[in-house]
Amino acid sequence: MIKCVIWDIDNTLLDGIYLESGQQRPGVDPELAGVLGELAGRGIVHALASKNPPEAADYVARTTRLDFAAAECGWGRKSDAVRRIIGDLGIAPDAVAFVDDDLFERAEVAAAIPEVMVLAPEDAAEAASWPEFSPPVVTDEARRRGAMYAQRRRRQEEARAFAGSRDEFLRHAGTWVRVGPAGPADLPRLHELSVRTHQFNSGAEPVSEAVLGELLASPRHQVIAVRLSDRFGDDGIVGAAVAETGEAAETGEAAETGEAAGTGESASWSVPVLMMSCRALGRGVIDALLAWLCQRAARAGAAELRVPCLVTERNVPLRIALTGAGFRAGAGARDSDEAAGAGGAPQAVFTRRLSGKLPVLPDWAAGRAPEPPGSAEAEPGSADAEPGSSVTGEPA
Amino acid sequence: MTAEAGGDGGGRAVLGELRLILARITGDDELLGLAAEMPLFGDGVGLDSLTGTLLLREVQRQFGVDVAAEDLNLDSLATLGTLAAFIAAPR
Repeated sequence: MIKCVIWDIDNTLLDGIYLESGQQRPGVDPELAGVLGELAGRGIVHALASKNPPEAADYVARTTRLDFAAAECGWGRKSDAVRRIIGDLGIAPDAVAFVDDDLFERAEVAAAIPEVMVLAPEDAAEAASWPEFSPPVVTDEARRRGAMYAQRRRRQEEARAFAGSRDEFLRHAGTWVRVGPAGPADLPRLHELSVRTHQFNSGAEPVSEAVLGELLASPRHQVIAVRLSDRFGDDGIVGAAVAETGEAAETGEAAETGEAAGTGESASWSVPVLMMSCRALGRGVIDALLAWLCQRAARAGAAELRVPCLVTERNVPLRIALTGAGFRAGAGARDSDEAAGAGGAPQAVFTRRLSGKLPVLPDWAAGRAPEPPGSAEAEPGSADAEPGSSVTGEPA
Repeated sequence: MTAEAGGDGGGRAVLGELRLILARITGDDELLGLAAEMPLFGDGVGLDSLTGTLLLREVQRQFGVDVAAEDLNLDSLATLGTLAAFIAAPR
């Protein structure tokens, strides 16, 4: 599935060459303008890679009135520009398409990064109807993805210019993490997270909306969504978890996650689903979610919180977060083959005793509600937010 | 498995490098004077998943030690000293 299209500017997005056009700048190719808007509506983000001064990217953004997630302008190799964009956005190369009118540039990128889908501009319009460009679910978060990356760019620029530490910047940015029960309207986004997240995903298999719906209805489970915003913008739902609060009951619904029913230990909560968008990395989200889970489980009388987690190279960030929150992987968990995930990756059960000092939300994460630009309309799913849904709030 | 907090010369050199890395990652120059026994998580340095990942990536780049692969529990991330000892340990 393509998540990002990287566009050349001259004779691709523009009907002409930016620098050779004098006072009268060339317009945007009308057919591609339509493609840009259509793809953005499906949650596919756009980026620019052009042998031009940076003003050319500003000009294209102004003319198309679109948010470009990244822009690489310069005279280096196109494949290097594409690599920088891939790294910057944290997107896998096989989720990227590159569109350029120049046969040489296309060949150079294709040779250097074979995973990238390389297209000529005349093919781009047709490609929009290919399955790779047609995600089955288009959530509100997906539609705003381009804008969020643009906000992220502004956030990063300001962070670079900021004189204090990272924590001070997050406080300065009015970072606001809200953890609370998910509602039915949130399920498509939760499913999407289960498909798209890897660095912060304790499992391997996507969780279907149907299964999430069953979990939502199950009295033994809590489905939790995490929302993130700051004064640069509103990222919507960026994380989620499913907590199994059951009393060692048979839980057929949770079978898909591979989590076996408890063994009579009634005072333990288990978390069969734990995930976060890597877009939210470094902004306190996973820490807030783990703190929330620990506090809720402790209040409910649980003696420990268990997080079955695949041990892969990709989810090192999640394992660091678990370690930081005081979780320890069970000894010998590595050897239990029956617990291995679909990919055959070993699984460990990270467990945290809920006695003593519990992890708390970083103080900057509970900042005052920021006023994101253009946030007059109600956030989808906000009706589900209850008093006390914030980590710092009263228990619900 | 837990890395032993060693105090040999190799470990000390690694300690200095780690302080530099931490200060650069967090933007907090006070970490240049960080004590070896100070916890990296929680009230100590306040490492999180981002800074922790960056730290391990730098460690792998500079010392060629893949901590996340070798230390499932990441016990080596307990303090600056345990991490330095883990890196300096013969393998």
